[in-house]
Amino acid sequence: MTPDEIRASRAARERLAWLVLLALAVLVLPWHRAMPTDATPLIPSALGLAAEGRGWLWPVVLSLPLLVWAGMRDAAGRLFLGLALAGFVVLVVQGFAVGLRGPAFDGLAAVFPVAAQGQTGFGWGGFVAGLAFLGLIAHTLALRGFCRGDRFSASAVVFIVALLGLFVFFPILKLATAAFVGPDGELALGPFRDRLFAPDIWRLDCLTGGRRCGVVINSLMLGLLAATISTALGLALALIVARTSFRFKQTLRALSILPIITPPFVVGVAIIVLFGRTGLLTQFGAEVFDVRPTRWVYGLTGILMAQVLAFTPITFLVLLGTVEAINPTLEEASQTLGAGPVKTFFKITWPLLRPGIAAAFLLAFIESLADFGNPIVLGGGFEVLSTRIFFAVAGARYDLGHAATLAMLLLSLTLIAFWLQSRWLGRKSYVTVTGKSDAGLASTLPFGLKGVAWAVVIPFVLFTMGVYIVVLVGGFVHDIGRWDLTPTFAHLRTAFAFEIGASGLEFYGSAWNSMKTTLLVSAIAAPLTTAVGIMTAWLVARQDFAGKNAFEFGTMLSFAIPGTVVGVSYVAAFNVPPVDITGTAAILVICFVFRNMPVGMRAGLAAFAQIDRSMEEASQTMGAGGAATLRRVVLPLVKPAVFTALVYSFVTAMTAVSAVIFLVSARHNMATAYIMGRVEAGEYALAITYSTVLMIVMIICIVLIQLLVGARKLGRRREFQGQTTPAE
Amino acid sequence: MTDEIAIQFADVTKRYGTAVAVDSISLSITKGEMVTFLGPSGCGKTTSLRLIAGLELPTSGMVRIAGRDVSQRAASERNVGMVFQSYALFPHMNVLENVAYGPMIRGEPKATARERAHEILEQIGLKGLSERLPSELSGGQQQRVAVARAIVQQPDVLLFDEPLSNVDAKLRRKVRGEIRELQKRFGLTAVYVTHDQEEALAVSDRIVVMQAGQIAQIGTPRDLYERPASPFVADFIGDANLVAGHVKDGRFIAADLNLPLAGTDGAAQISLRPERIGIAPGDAGPVGTVRSCTYLGSRWEFEIETGFAELLASRPMTEAPIAPGTRVTLTIPETAPIRVA
Amino acid sequence: MRKTTILSATLAGFIAAPIAASADELVLYCSVQEEWCRLMAESFQRETGINVLMTRRSSGETYAQLKAEEGQPRGDVWWGGTGDPHLQAAEEGLTAVYESPMLAELQDWAVSQANASGMRTVGIYAGALGYGFNTELVDDPAPACWADLLDDRFRDDIQVANPNSSGTAYTLLATLVQIMGEDEAFEFLGELDENISQYTQSGAAPIRNAATGETAIGIVFMHDAVAQAVQGAPIAAVAPCEGTGYEIGSMSLVEGGPNPDNARAFYDWALSPEAQALGAEANSFQVPSNRNAPVPPESPALDQITLIDYDFETYGSSDTRQRLLARWDDEIGARR
Repeated sequence: MTPDEIRASRAARERLAWLVLLALAVLVLPWHRAMPTDATPLIPSALGLAAEGRGWLWPVVLSLPLLVWAGMRDAAGRLFLGLALAGFVVLVVQGFAVGLRGPAFDGLAAVFPVAAQGQTGFGWGGFVAGLAFLGLIAHTLALRGFCRGDRFSASAVVFIVALLGLFVFFPILKLATAAFVGPDGELALGPFRDRLFAPDIWRLDCLTGGRRCGVVINSLMLGLLAATISTALGLALALIVARTSFRFKQTLRALSILPIITPPFVVGVAIIVLFGRTGLLTQFGAEVFDVRPTRWVYGLTGILMAQVLAFTPITFLVLLGTVEAINPTLEEASQTLGAGPVKTFFKITWPLLRPGIAAAFLLAFIESLADFGNPIVLGGGFEVLSTRIFFAVAGARYDLGHAATLAMLLLSLTLIAFWLQSRWLGRKSYVTVTGKSDAGLASTLPFGLKGVAWAVVIPFVLFTMGVYIVVLVGGFVHDIGRWDLTPTFAHLRTAFAFEIGASGLEFYGSAWNSMKTTLLVSAIAAPLTTAVGIMTAWLVARQDFAGKNAFEFGTMLSFAIPGTVVGVSYVAAFNVPPVDITGTAAILVICFVFRNMPVGMRAGLAAFAQIDRSMEEASQTMGAGGAATLRRVVLPLVKPAVFTALVYSFVTAMTAVSAVIFLVSARHNMATAYIMGRVEAGEYALAITYSTVLMIVMIICIVLIQLLVGARKLGRRREFQGQTTPAE
Repeated sequence: MTDEIAIQFADVTKRYGTAVAVDSISLSITKGEMVTFLGPSGCGKTTSLRLIAGLELPTSGMVRIAGRDVSQRAASERNVGMVFQSYALFPHMNVLENVAYGPMIRGEPKATARERAHEILEQIGLKGLSERLPSELSGGQQQRVAVARAIVQQPDVLLFDEPLSNVDAKLRRKVRGEIRELQKRFGLTAVYVTHDQEEALAVSDRIVVMQAGQIAQIGTPRDLYERPASPFVADFIGDANLVAGHVKDGRFIAADLNLPLAGTDGAAQISLRPERIGIAPGDAGPVGTVRSCTYLGSRWEFEIETGFAELLASRPMTEAPIAPGTRVTLTIPETAPIRVA
Repeated sequence: MRKTTILSATLAGFIAAPIAASADELVLYCSVQEEWCRLMAESFQRETGINVLMTRRSSGETYAQLKAEEGQPRGDVWWGGTGDPHLQAAEEGLTAVYESPMLAELQDWAVSQANASGMRTVGIYAGALGYGFNTELVDDPAPACWADLLDDRFRDDIQVANPNSSGTAYTLLATLVQIMGEDEAFEFLGELDENISQYTQSGAAPIRNAATGETAIGIVFMHDAVAQAVQGAPIAAVAPCEGTGYEIGSMSLVEGGPNPDNARAFYDWALSPEAQALGAEANSFQVPSNRNAPVPPESPALDQITLIDYDFETYGSSDTRQRLLARWDDEIGARR
């Protein structure tokens, strides 16, 4: 065979494979996950159901012979492409046209009486058919020159766009719609207006001496305070590390990773143990000042403490970068011109720090808005948007419309903050790194300022240590809540007891189910997240295709959406057909993949920026398609980015709570949801024990990932080090 | 078989948004020929090369390689070899793995692929280096590995994208000689992109001069130098003095310049190569004033102000220098002027 | 290559797993104390080898979940929690009709619960509502009535659950309405709100917080207060002088659940004296519904408490529940 024939036959084989898959999907595979009531087809496939009177499935079924016919005429032709597109559209439309309880519009019932019985969500048949249609679309587009004719890249673009559409845009759209749905299911502006302007959202009573403020006001207050305090602390730490002869620089950097691997709730619990009404420090304070101990820590104060503890390391890392990037010669110049150290700091250093401070502030603000774990543990009666959203869908009076309205509010606030951030940082360039060697020595802090910095940092460090001591000890003593410090493994046994009985290994500990699910889901989500993230980065960095900008924006959007909003949007979108996947483990994996994918993408983009693109082009001219190039050339060169993305997505999957809390089920419970239940029931010791075990497991897994990914071999020189810090 | 067409562009256009990189180009390259795309940066020469490689697909028009339409075909599905400006050696593979990559990707058994790579490395004089990583090679060695990698699969066409720009200036002459020798030895069709006209003259069978996405002229090096079709080509290939004037009754007239020139009457422009202009003190015939006289080691270079243009003249060292300010008489042989417009 | 293969194999197996409904499993929604839930799940698993997947959620939340899963249920048995949401679920057809052979062994109140629901739920334990206070935090005179809770000295020092999520708190709401009349009850709750520091999610959380001293008083079922006292916490249980309501903790089978046979096995087992004796082991001192099950000595004796004639049928009905909860949301919840 000539190379040409090989090529043609390879393309034909791929096309055939997609068509076979489509045939399998519509002719054989069960179309629905669960058969609709009263449906008794010979085969549970689309064909069987269509033949039985569910005529709205015929277009999907008939697209198969039409595609075969068009493919034999001209596989790269407009007709074939059009048919594949039409098949996909018809598939989606029929899925929405007939819902679980009947057709979406009345006309359909007149044509197909059976539609009144409704249909359930897609099963293997439905999903595989969608996959096959998309595959055929990508295949044909590539033959027509899309993605420079590379079929792998074309498929990657088409599939990632479809996935983003399904798992990012569709839920948000559905959520936005839900905000306008009234109690009787009608779509109207009225209910939305009522929900949006309800007094419990905007009330300002607390500022004028009343008891409570609206939930948006609470969220904003908390966000601004948390951002201000953690930015100030982060700055103080950064200045101490960079501008004094501080010796434990590396230790501090290493410790700043701690909050990332700390499961949610446990910090809140530790704060209650220390500062609750019966907490060690509250009791001590009450005795010293001879007052009755109070519940002072619950509410804004407690949440603030926990958030500052969690966000300061983030602001510290951002600001340390800024401080270290300031060219010392500028400060030296100021001093040679006669300005004293104080004047130099405020006239030169401070203005240069400002963009970094703005970035750190907004980052902390966004994190505070999205935080769910701390407010729920420490809130008392103080509710914020994220907790209110949760209670709106978790309680007996399930009110999706209310939750959706609040979620849209939260999303708007977050997007405004993101927009401010990009605007602020985009406007002025304060780059002082010129590539010339910075000969000067960084000036040290003025004395007074140094004092202030230490005075701020020392209590913070003590506070952090106290919290983590409670976390370390709490799981292995009798009852940390009452300061009963008798050592015990009882909690560990409750959570992780197992026996080797007659029927083999039996797990009796109550935490096993959630632990197994968490590990499994994280272990599946992490490589998928990394793959999707790196792949997306590769497409953005290296491929040219129509709609690339929108594509990039879409991936970033999924990064901006707070977890609670994602959770409730998934409930709104995936609790009903056609994509009815709540209660499965798949929805957990999917949720993690699309929430964390942007981090893998960022790491990937940074890495690709440092790799000469002609290496990939060389691979292509030597006959390697997109897939082989990615695997043999690109991936070995971006290993650090792969590692970053793997670790980040794994750890986040293990510790995430805000989105998954909506998605867990009895069958697939997650560690964090389990811990939340224990905290709610007051079983602090069990919660702490589980958290400690989780942290240990995470550290072991990170080491394993490092071994698995391995070091990159590039000869004597070690270059292309991807420099990425996940910002969340 | 020498006249078989290896590469054909038929009305090929490549647009990026509204910008036109290649503007309806048509040309054919014969098998075994070495053709250079030459032009200033942004002229579309690299885009043209990438259109052959398949790293870009044309917006319209047709690209044929070895008689086949490959317009919508991915790079990986064309049989081309390419040497990149940065060499683009894979840093995580050793020399042998780099060279064996292509055959292996195309489905040859690992042993065969390695054998092929060994053969090529031997032929190209890199035998002892096969276990080295690219980072352990000198620039010249890396360049040869890049070439070995490109030709190991006997490509329909071998493409060079400014392959000498990362080579030491002193080595360039040697390396370009090697490239030319190799191309002839293997009988390869080669397309070479450069912005350096001397390099183009040295290695090419034919040169395609490009300007603003279009072909300004195609021809042998000698054609282009001696018979440039436009002021742009004349100016770009070597140094040229462009003189505007008019033709009447078989003579070109511009101020006191009056030379025999065939062609239609009317406004005209001629090119005069600096080395064809003779100068001697005096003020008969076309005259000028020496503005500067620069010693260049192998020759003198004069800037002369005349009534019709600023002229550049270069004279061998065997002649005497002339002090600036001296009035000189210009001697221009009848064959020197080339009408370019 | 090998890594990818393993990955995809794992993935395929993982996705396929839920499709091939695993043979021996039971999904248990449990609405009593976690400790008791765990013991039940573990004991049943030991006895039958059926792997129990248990989630503990408050009864109101579980009801909401059943409602959300209507049409494609994912749970098998809903065990425990106050009877009202069970009755509401029965009324809405979320739970299945099942007449257990064990019914003959049960107390009358348990059987009447079953009859009231058309055999869709059954009583498994009973307990009276009351409250508990921390003896170290509450000075004399000790509170003894509902009215005592309005005292200024308990400002921000009382906790009770949110009736939307907790059956316990709904029982309080229904009890006060039955004692005082609806408007008066809401007036009372409005005044009480001044003293409430937090409405918790789970019904028993307030007493746990009272035990650690985070709050002074927790309004809960008396057996929950007793449980804390038994474990050594400085808690005293109060049966309010005005009289109080009680719960019939119930159990229902989920209509159309994935493992109906296992569900019925659990149902019968949970009504046996042996299974009902497990409560005391897990520090839960409700009165069991099987006549042959031992009543734990710590259980608050129901015959010594002024019990109202709690109207389960009315207050367990969908309409009443939804109306009362909506009113609570408007008048009490909205203050938060």
